[in-house]
This record gives sequence, C-alpha cells and structure tokens, in this order.
Amino acid sequence: MDAPLLAVTNLKTYFYLSKGVLKAVDGVSLTINENEVFCLVGETGCGKSVTALSIMRLIFYPGKIVDGNILYKGMDILKLPESEMRKIRGKEIAMIFQSPMKSLNPVFNVGYQISEAPIVHFGLSHSDAWKQAVELIEKVRIPDPDLRAKSYPHVLSGGMKQRSMIAMMISCEPRLLIADEPTTALDVTVQAQIMDLLLDIRKKRSMSIMLITHNFGLVAETGDEVAVMYSGKVVESGSVKDVFKEPLHPYTQGLLRCIPVGFERKTEIDYIAGTLPSAIGPPLGCRFHPRCRYATEKCRGQEPQLISLGENHLVACHLHGG
Amino acid sequence: MKAMGVEETVPKEVERKSMFKLTKLKEFCLLLLHYKMSCIGLLVVIGITILATFAPIIAPKHFAKTDVPNKLQPPSLTYLFGTDVLGRDVFSRVVYGAQIALWVGLIVVLVQASIGITLGVMAGYFNGKLDKIISAFADIVWSFPPVVLALGIVMVLGPGITQVVIAIALTSWPTFTRVTRAKVQSMVNREFVLAARAVGESDLSIMLRYLLPNITSTNLVLATLTLPAAIISTTALSFLGFGAQPPTPDWGAMLSEGASQLVIAPWIATFPGIFIVITALGFNLLGDGLRDLLDPKLRV
Amino acid sequence: MEKPLLEVDELKKYFPVRRGPFTKPDYVKAVDDVNFYVNKGETLGLVGESGSGKTTVGLLILRLIDPTSGRIFFDGENFTEMPKKEMMKFRKRMSIVFQDPLASLNPRMRVKEMLKRPLVVHGIKNEEEITTRIIKILEMVRLGKEHLDRYPHELSGGQQQRVAVARAIILNPDLVVHDEPTSSLDVSVQAQILNLLLKLQRDLNLTYLFITHDLVMVRHVSDRVAVMYLGKIVEVAETDELFSNTMHPYTAALLSAAPIPRPEARDVKRFVISGEPPSPINPPLGCRFHPRCIYATERCRSQEPQLINLGENHLVACHRAEEIDISSYSRELWKIMTKA
Repeated sequence: MDAPLLAVTNLKTYFYLSKGVLKAVDGVSLTINENEVFCLVGETGCGKSVTALSIMRLIFYPGKIVDGNILYKGMDILKLPESEMRKIRGKEIAMIFQSPMKSLNPVFNVGYQISEAPIVHFGLSHSDAWKQAVELIEKVRIPDPDLRAKSYPHVLSGGMKQRSMIAMMISCEPRLLIADEPTTALDVTVQAQIMDLLLDIRKKRSMSIMLITHNFGLVAETGDEVAVMYSGKVVESGSVKDVFKEPLHPYTQGLLRCIPVGFERKTEIDYIAGTLPSAIGPPLGCRFHPRCRYATEKCRGQEPQLISLGENHLVACHLHGG
Repeated sequence: MKAMGVEETVPKEVERKSMFKLTKLKEFCLLLLHYKMSCIGLLVVIGITILATFAPIIAPKHFAKTDVPNKLQPPSLTYLFGTDVLGRDVFSRVVYGAQIALWVGLIVVLVQASIGITLGVMAGYFNGKLDKIISAFADIVWSFPPVVLALGIVMVLGPGITQVVIAIALTSWPTFTRVTRAKVQSMVNREFVLAARAVGESDLSIMLRYLLPNITSTNLVLATLTLPAAIISTTALSFLGFGAQPPTPDWGAMLSEGASQLVIAPWIATFPGIFIVITALGFNLLGDGLRDLLDPKLRV
Repeated sequence: MEKPLLEVDELKKYFPVRRGPFTKPDYVKAVDDVNFYVNKGETLGLVGESGSGKTTVGLLILRLIDPTSGRIFFDGENFTEMPKKEMMKFRKRMSIVFQDPLASLNPRMRVKEMLKRPLVVHGIKNEEEITTRIIKILEMVRLGKEHLDRYPHELSGGQQQRVAVARAIILNPDLVVHDEPTSSLDVSVQAQILNLLLKLQRDLNLTYLFITHDLVMVRHVSDRVAVMYLGKIVEVAETDELFSNTMHPYTAALLSAAPIPRPEARDVKRFVISGEPPSPINPPLGCRFHPRCIYATERCRSQEPQLINLGENHLVACHRAEEIDISSYSRELWKIMTKA
C-alpha cells in the first residue's frame, strides 16, 4: 500500500491558561492518504479545529504542541524550523476556514489576494500571477472572472467569498487542503455548490481534503474516511461506509441516532444524556463514561486505547476490548 | 446571516490572546504593567478620598486661618507646603481642597449622568423623530463653550462653586448621551429585547429592566473617566474667577491666587497644581483598568 | 370544519432602504403577499434560506414589527391593527423562541426573574401562585431549582434554551413560534431540545410554527410544510406529500442540497441549481426563481405564478408544475430519510 500523505501520531496540543491546562488535543492519531476525502467529525470543543491548526503549526501562546509527530510525505513537520514550515504552508498544505468574511482582507481586491501565494512560493511575476488568479476565479465557477478579480471582498456574497478563499488556497496546487467547517455559515443550496466544487477540484488535481465538520450528512455524502473525536481524542475511525453501517463506539452510535432521520414523524428521537465535558478537567478513565449507557467499572478507571477491529476500522472502547 | 452550530476555531478562552505571537515574557510584562497602572490609580483615588474625608484631622491648620507675619514662607516643618499671601498654610488648604474637588467632581458626574443617560436611552430606544431631536440638542449643547454659560450664570447669580458646577454639568452631559444611545441602539433589536416585547413588557419596563442594567458597566467606566475632566474643568473655571470665592480652598482658585506670586513664592500654585494632575491621572488610570476588566466579560 | 388558529392573508412587509437624502428609497420586499394558515394542534414548518423572509414572518405574527399591509387572524380575530392595550390578551396566547439562546435572555436577569416577568406583566401578582407556576414549568423543561438563581452566562447552551422555552410556555399559550430553535446548539443537545418541544406540544396541546432551514428537522416535526423563496411562498403541502411528490423546482433543489447522514444518499441523483439567492431589494420580474431555474420559459420571466391547489391540499406557485416531473429527485431521498 502507498505510504500515507499525512500521518499524525499521538498529537497533543495543550493550552496553558490561568484556570488550568486545557488539553484540547490529547493523543490524536490519524492517517490521510493521497486523493482521499478525510472527515474529522465531532461537536464543539472536541478539538477538531485545534488538530487542524496543529497540523498547520498555527498554534500560538498560550497553546503548545507538547507531544506527537506529524509526518507529511514521510517528513516530521513538527521538527521543521519555521522558515521551512512556511514553505509548506500554502504550497503543500492549505487551509480554508469557516467564516470567509473574516478570512479575506478587506483592503485588497480578490485578484491580488489570490496572486499572493504563487508570487511568494513560485516567484511568479505580478502579471503572470494575476493571469493565473483570473483563471482560478473561473475554475471556482465565479462568473465574470475578469471583473471579479478587481472586486473587493465586501461586494461579494458569502458563497463567492468562500469560492475566492478556495481559489486562494489552491493557487499553489497543494496536496492537502484542510477545510474547517467551510460551509457552516452558508445557505444550504450554496453549501451543496461549494461541496460539489471542492470534490470536483479534488478529482481534477488529485488533492486530498481534510474536512472538519459537525454535520454527519456532509460526511456521509462526501467522505471516504472518517474519524470521530470526543474531548480531545479520536474515539472511532474508519471508512465512511463501515462507520455508518456499523458504528462501534457508543458516542458515534448516539450521535448518529440523534439526527431525526429514520424516525417516525413527531416521535422522540434518541439523544445522548448529559453535556460535553470541560477540556480542563475531563473525566478520568474513558472520557465518555459519564454519558454512556454501557459504562462499567473498567470504563471509569481506565482509558481505552484505539485498537483495530479489522479492515481499518478503529475504535477506543472497552466494550470492544480497547 | 444565519448561524448554525458555530464552533470557535480555538477554545474561547484563548481566542484573543493566542492570535498575537507574544512570547510568554512579553505578555507577562504587559499584564503586570497594566495592572500596576490601574493599581496606582486605585491607590491615588483612595488616597485623595482619605484626604478629603479626614481633612479636619489631617490638616494641621484650618484653611482660613491666617498668619500674616509668616506670609509667603517657603515649605518648612510647620508649614509643609509653605504659606500664601495671607500666611495661610498651603498644605492644609490643599487637603481641604481635596474635599471640594471630589465633591464637585461627583456632583458634576451625577448630574451629567442623569441627564445624559436618560436622554440617551430615550434616543436609542425610540429612534425616529425623538432620536433626531435629542441628538441635535446634544450636539448643540456639546458645542457650547462652558465658559460662556458660566459667564452668563455668574452675571445673574454671582460667582460661586455651585454656579461652576451647574455650568460644567449642563454643557458636558452629551458624552453620556452619545455612549448610551449607541449602546442602546445595539441592544434594542437583540433577541432578549424582542422577547421582552413579545411577552408584553411596556416600553418603560424594557428601558428600566432590560436596557439600563446592561449599560451600567459602560457608564461606570465613563463616569470614572469623566470625573477627572469635571475636576479639571471646574478648576479651570475657578481659576478664571467664576467659582470658589476666598477663602474657599478650591484648587483652581489657589492656582489663580498663586499665579501672581509665581516668581517669589512658586509653592502656592505648584502644590495645588500637582494635586490636580495626580487626582486626574489617578481617576484616568483607574477608569482604564476598569474598562479592560469589565469590557470583555460583559459583552452584551 | 374548525377554523384555523392562525391565518395570514396577503401579508406584506417592505423595509425602506435610503440610498441618499434626495433619492426615493428602495424597498427590501422581505415578505411579499404571503398567505397561509395553521390549524390548532398542528405544526407548520416554514422553510427557506437567507432572504426568504421566514424570520420576518415570525416577527410579524408576534407583531414585533408591523406589517406594511395584509391581515393576521388569531383564533378568528383580526389583530393586525389592534391597539397595544387590546393586544395584551393576545400576547399571552402566543410566544416565540429564538435561535440564539444566549442572546434571547437578559444577561442581567436571573432565571427566576425572567420566568416571573411574563406572569407579573399579565397580572399574576400573588407570590405563592408565581412560585408554584415557576416550579411546575421548571419540571416540564427538566431544569432544577438550583438553576433559578443563575444568570444566563452561567448555564450551558441547552439549559439556556430550556429557560427560553420555559419562558415561552409559562403563560399557557396556544401558539408558539420557533425561529430556528436548535441551530445554535450541538447535535447531541439539539436532540434533547427537539424531544422536549415535541413532548410539550403533546402535553400542552400547543400549536407550532416551526421556522428553519434544516429540512431533515422540518420533516420530523411538521405536519405541513411551506417553502419560502424571496418573500413568497412557493409550495405548501402535508409533509410526506411535499417530500415525496415535490412539484416546485426550488423545493426539489432544497431537498437535494440537504446533506443526509446515510451513505446510500450519495448515489441518488441530485437536482443542483446554480447561482445564489438574490437580494430581496429588486427581486426578478415574473417568477422570482426563474434566473436559477433550468425549466424557465418566457412566461416564467414575465408573469408571476400564483399559488394553485394541485390536488390534496398541495399548493404550488409554478407555471410548469404540471408538466415537469421533479419529484423523482426528492422521492428517493425521502425514502432514505424515512427508512429506519
């Protein structure tokens, strides 16, 4: 089998706050292969965004990556000096964020912002970079690319802003595009268009996408592989088909049954009791045990490890011998 | 724009700080400096308040007690800040002056706030014509020079501290109106106000129970910052002769008296001057600290 | 037949937008001639994207904003132009729950006070009765007495929304308008609140107007669904009928776009539309959806379609509804959604 494009092993990112240590990511391991859509799914505070930022090494004080390694094409990018990392950011690994309104610089026009990365990474001339920017604007299906390139972000709609972000991020043909909730702030029909666009780009450029979301629908419809996170850890991972067909971890099961699909109308759907744990003082043992209907003594005392149950389906649960 | 299950990119607690690439040392120093400044401010304010409250005990002599044979003496052990033209103890006068300064400042701010906040809430809540009228009125008042109004009042009533207080208070309340109006406008269409209206709450009830409590922090900060301005404005008017009449130990009046003696007895004007600056600075620093402390937590 | 609890007739709300001091203002036609009704005890789902006007409809019904024209009937009475004092008796029969629970609670009021206000405003001053009712309502929304003394920011998102719901039902209303009540919450909390809303509806015989953009949710809670686009209703029908026998292209597009957490859904052919919802300031002439519609004809570009009943209480506003067959797109998805 081919070596994975990105292999994260035992990543730990902590934030040192006055009220305690916030263990946002506490031992996360995952692999992303070439040409794959990998979904990182979980609720608020599970650490999925921090994982992405850690991969991009965009963690600043008071946060710190305290352990683990991230192998990109076999190279541990956590050990790289900042100058080398800058060559990877934008060129090899790119990232788009949730709120395009906050990510675009309001004082430069769109064409300029899309040209920036190629000028820095490939040393293109301004005019060449501009031409490429206009082409990219067309590729992301924005009509009137010549005109749009000269537009400023505030005249664009939400969908167009996000497309501009995408154009910016793929301008250097990255191998891995991390998308952190790229469609959450958009209307549902626009969401469908953007996801469609991302998948199309991925196919054409053999790019991998790491999609971070809390929406299981998106995962089911676009993902190849998925990892479910809870309280800073990965609790289950595998192919989308396997995890959806046979979710092994009680949290995954609970989440899937929380969605009102497949229930008779106006009946009560399943839900997960309790609330999300605080990341500063998570429960001992298995972090999910206070909310788990199958919790045993072992769950309360010992943290389960992520083990493989055949065919690349991993789960961290004592029920399955974790 | 709708919001669906929005997740912060980074834990809420750290969002603000981690966006800047500060080293641990730098951040620590800045924080300490900031707190130090506000603490200094707090100490100054407490100090001046103690001076004002216990003036009769602290001041060795009564502020009006004259000692003409010892007039224009430089600072000494008996007269810590020296004596003025009539042999009065400058130190005692400065201490008693703190009472006046604080009182004046407080009353001015209270009057400013009452007028300003009331009008501000009405302008922000009712919008439309009322808003335009109030805002225009506030603009006109704001551009009216206090000295002119003071002159007018003094012509009718004669000089005095009260007259100065009235003049300053009546020309500077628009700051409170502007700030309050802006805050109220930002809140009036928020869901909790809509919910209150949906329940059937009256306009007055909404203004008192829902809007007012949410602007107290802003106004508190504004009050701490306008108090020194009030003190300075009143001392200025007193300096010009509109305010306190002798022998009232108003700092501004003392400045005026000492101005003519500046060459031969600089201590008469210098010490009140220093105290004016220290008091104003103290309140400003305290206000800054308060603002930073209250602002992020009470983001309405 | 019993008359509907809520009836909306030719409702319009135009917001003026001043371009300059001397030019005539433009108008945001947020709600433009909307008609619908809600029967007692049922849930009408109101679906649409941004700019559709659905939230404005909710605010109009509660008379938090006044309509430009049109009539709103509650329990048979026209209360569109009722003076404030008379409105009070209606105010206790209807309430609203908003999307962002933290924003809908007064940051400076404790839970106890917030629940007390509706009672006091409507004349219940007896301390004992107030306490009894508050305790009863807390039980119903599954909150404890310990929450009474807390401020909103001391509660979790789910607890905040429960307080908002408690406030909405403490006066025993007939109608509750929900404006995206679960969108700001985490998935696991959404389910808890959803169940709570369903249970309350059963126990207290409530009528719901459920405003949302989430089609999966609307399918689960609604008896009937109305789809809005750019200020107009384009399709109304009973839920199953709407989802399995879709007739308006926009509805089909909405359904196609909704992500369904079933991998089988991936293989279903989708009806994708291009473009974005245009601004409601100068809506397109004729059928408002025509610029994005692949079936648009000359007639669609010039003539606005009316809402016509095409059988079994299924109303559609589309010139070509009977010719084109787009239900095939949505039927497959609906089958997947309803399969246990």
